[in-house]
Formats: sequence, structure tokens, C-alpha cells
Amino acid sequence: MVNLAAFARQYWAHIFVPTGFVIGWYLDKQQDQKLTAFRNKSALYGRELKPGEEVTWR
Amino acid sequence: MLKILLPTIMLVPTIWITPAKHLWSTTLSYSLIISLISLTWLKSSTESGWSFLSPYMATDPLSTPLLALTCWLLPLMILASQNHTASEPISRQRTYITLLTSLQIFLIMAFSATEVIMFYIMFEATLIPTLIIITRWGNQTERLNAGTYFLFYTLAGSLPLLVALLLLQNSTGTLSLLTLQYTPSMQLSSFADKLWWAGCLLAFLVKMPLYGAHLWLPKAHVEAPIAGSMVLAAVLLKLGGYGMMRMMIMLEPLTKELSYPFIIFALWGVIMTGSICLRQTDLKSLIAYSSVSHMGLVAAGILIQTPWGFTGALILMIAHGLTSSALFCLANTNYERTHSRTMILARGLQMVLPLMTAWWFIASLANLALPPLPNLMGELMIITSLFHWSWWTIALTGAGTLITAGYSLYMFLMTQRGPLPTHIISLDPTHSREHLLMALHLLPLILLIPKPELIWGWTA
Repeated sequence: MVNLAAFARQYWAHIFVPTGFVIGWYLDKQQDQKLTAFRNKSALYGRELKPGEEVTWR
Repeated sequence: MLKILLPTIMLVPTIWITPAKHLWSTTLSYSLIISLISLTWLKSSTESGWSFLSPYMATDPLSTPLLALTCWLLPLMILASQNHTASEPISRQRTYITLLTSLQIFLIMAFSATEVIMFYIMFEATLIPTLIIITRWGNQTERLNAGTYFLFYTLAGSLPLLVALLLLQNSTGTLSLLTLQYTPSMQLSSFADKLWWAGCLLAFLVKMPLYGAHLWLPKAHVEAPIAGSMVLAAVLLKLGGYGMMRMMIMLEPLTKELSYPFIIFALWGVIMTGSICLRQTDLKSLIAYSSVSHMGLVAAGILIQTPWGFTGALILMIAHGLTSSALFCLANTNYERTHSRTMILARGLQMVLPLMTAWWFIASLANLALPPLPNLMGELMIITSLFHWSWWTIALTGAGTLITAGYSLYMFLMTQRGPLPTHIISLDPTHSREHLLMALHLLPLILLIPKPELIWGWTA
């Protein structure tokens, strides 16, 4: 157990960057989901779907 | 977008908490991982061109190559600075890496900003860490003078830009890049409109730098520590090119006439700075002037406003970013051994460090735009579009490429060939760290040969 505590104390700084990545990935995903609500509804970028195409972008 | 930006921000606490013995390896590996993840930006499939959208940031084919270059450069800067900061107290080493990281944060936000005013703020914000790096970690007392030049040239150029942007906001009601390109073109004819045009471009022309407003650059490059020189040559100058490409769209009707003197100035600068390189004695100064010369070509390519000009400018910016950064690293390997930048004091290094000569050879060839490297593709596209505009430009661009080849060869022969000076008694052998550094600079350049569509921008 002592080893584990020493290990944690020495390496706990490694938690920051992966946490940043996970939070960033989550926020990006949330933002994408928010944007899909407006998919192909824009006056500028809207267009007819090609045959067999479900959405304009994913 | 945030999945790159947040880890980069989180790198700052990591730098301060990591135990001293792991500091460099930890930051290097994390920054390398971040830069590898950032390569996902290069794959975009949306039709509007904009992808990875968030309320304030997005990427498009113009900004992705520059973003990837920014992220790629942080691990390289860390790798390059390891040796010369080793003798400093650990807290100063941490401050140094923190500054480099903060520079990456600002640059990511600058290149990915969708609002021009946010781009402007981040453009200015990059000045602060760069200024601290130059004036605190430079080697000689002249660094303070260099810092003053660097700060005041950029500030004097960019204050008119702030006024011009506020005016634009007032007349169009938006500064968003997503909508700005669709606003009807303005009727610009009065003298004030012409001043506005100059205000919009001046900041970027100083940052590029255009010949005539370039004096800050060689000073800053010569005095900055290696990481400062690398980021200045590779990314900070490109902020100017990027900003110009963004602003060009809005200045449409005026640029056709008003850009003439600037194109000629840029091309004249290619020749003049090239000629200055031919008689340089200072290695870092030579590479700095060579940057001014290449960026003159980029400025001309952007001002000519053709798709080929834009594409060539972007390709040349990326290629030059990698090449000049590699040359600065090579100059630094010499400097760390001989403690002098004077070329005549460190000749004939091929005898002592033969493998390093191979890197010098490849980097010099890249600098003189050897086919089929992207450097040549960029130069060729710019030269072609300039030639299409006016036949007379071939005299300037042709002489420019000839002089570039001349001084690249001069640099190579001067540092690598000839007899070893007698005062060099012992030199450190090369480290694998330095070879890795050079490989990480030149491999992307070589890998870009078969896949230029990654860096050719809007034309793709």
C-alpha cells in the first residue's frame, strides 16, 4: 500500500491531460449533437439530398 | 476542437506538478500525443468547408494545415530546448515550457477563430509569451533591443487593424468569417476607404514581414533562444499570411489597384534580402533573412489573389515553416558546440559530425526548393500566377530563386566543407535527440510530397 501511495504521489500529474481530452471530447460531442438539430436547415448551405443519402453531414 | 485545446491547457498544471526528473519526457510525450490527435483535423468532409464547429471556433482547409503545424511544433520546440535550459533552475525550466505551451494555446485559438476580432486578440496575445521568451532567454544583451523592435513593429502595425475591424463591424454588423464572405461587397471608392484597406493589411504585412517593415525579424531571430526562433519562423510569421488571406475576401474591389506597390515591394524584397543573405557572416541572421525572402514570395502570392496564388502561398508557408525551423535547429546544434553564430568560426564540420552534414544537406536543398519538395510546388505556383499577371515579374522571381539557390549553397559550403579551424579542439558528438529532432522536421516535408492536397487549401 505504501508503494501505491508513493506511486500515486509521483505520477498523479498524469491525470490532467487525459482528463482534458475526455472533457474536450465530451463537449465537442455535445456541440455536434446541438448542431445536428439544424442539419440542412441553413439558407446558405441547405441542398437537395442525393439519392440514398440520409443526411448532409455526420 | 476542444479535444485538442483542453489537453493543451491541461498541460500547464502537468508541467508544474510533474517531478523534475520527468519534466522534459512527460511534456514531450504529451505534446506529441496532442499533435498526433490534431492530425484528425486534416480529414474533413463537409461541403461548406467548415468543420469541427463550436460556437467560437472552427477549422477550414485554410486553417487546418497551419493548426496541425502549430501542434506539431510544440514537441519539436521542447526537444530542441532540452539541452540549453538544462543548467537552469527547475522552476525556470517549467516557466519556459509553460510559455511555449501558452503560445500553442493562443495560436490554436488564433487559427481556429471564427470571429475576426477573436483572431485579432489572439494575434496580439501571442506577442506576450514570445516577448518573454526572447527577452528572458536570449543569449546577449541585444535581446532587449530586439524585444522592443519586435513588440513595437507589431503593435504599430496592428493598432490600425483594430480600428479597421471596428469600422467593418459597424458597416456590416458582423465579423464572423462564416457569414462575412457572403455579405454583399462594399462600395469602396473614397480616400478613407483606401486608408481602411491599408489599415486592414498593414498589421499582416508587418508580421509577414514585407520588405521595408522587416527589420524586427532578423533581430528577434538572432537574439531569441532556439525555441523562440523556431516558433517565430514556423508559425508566427504565418499568422500574417493567414490573416491576409482572411481579410483579402472582404477587400475585393480595392485590392486590384492598391496591391500593385505591395506586390512589387514584396518581390523586390525577395531579391534584396536574398542578396543580404549572400554576404551574411552570422548563421542565424542568414536563416532569418532567408525567411524574409520566402515570405516576400508568399505575400506576393496572396496579393495577386488568384486561386493558384493562394494555394501556392499556403503550400510555401507550411513547407517554409518546417524547413526554416529545421535550419534554426541545425544552427543551434552548431551554437551549442562552438558558442558562436559566426559561420567562419565553425567550418568543415563534415569532418567531425558527418551525419549532421546529411541533415544540413537535406535542409539546404529544401530551402532552395529542390523538386519534388512542397517548397518547389509552392514557389512554382506563386511564380506562375505572378507571371500570368505580368511578364516582368519573372525577372524578379527568377533572380530570386537563383539567389536563393546561391545562398543556400553558400550556407552549406561555409558550415560543412573546407578545413576544420584550428581552434576547434574538441566537440560534443551529436545526440540522438538532435537526429530525432531533424527527422521529425524533415519527414513531414517528405511525406507531404505524395499528398499535397492536405496543404493546398481552398482549391481542394
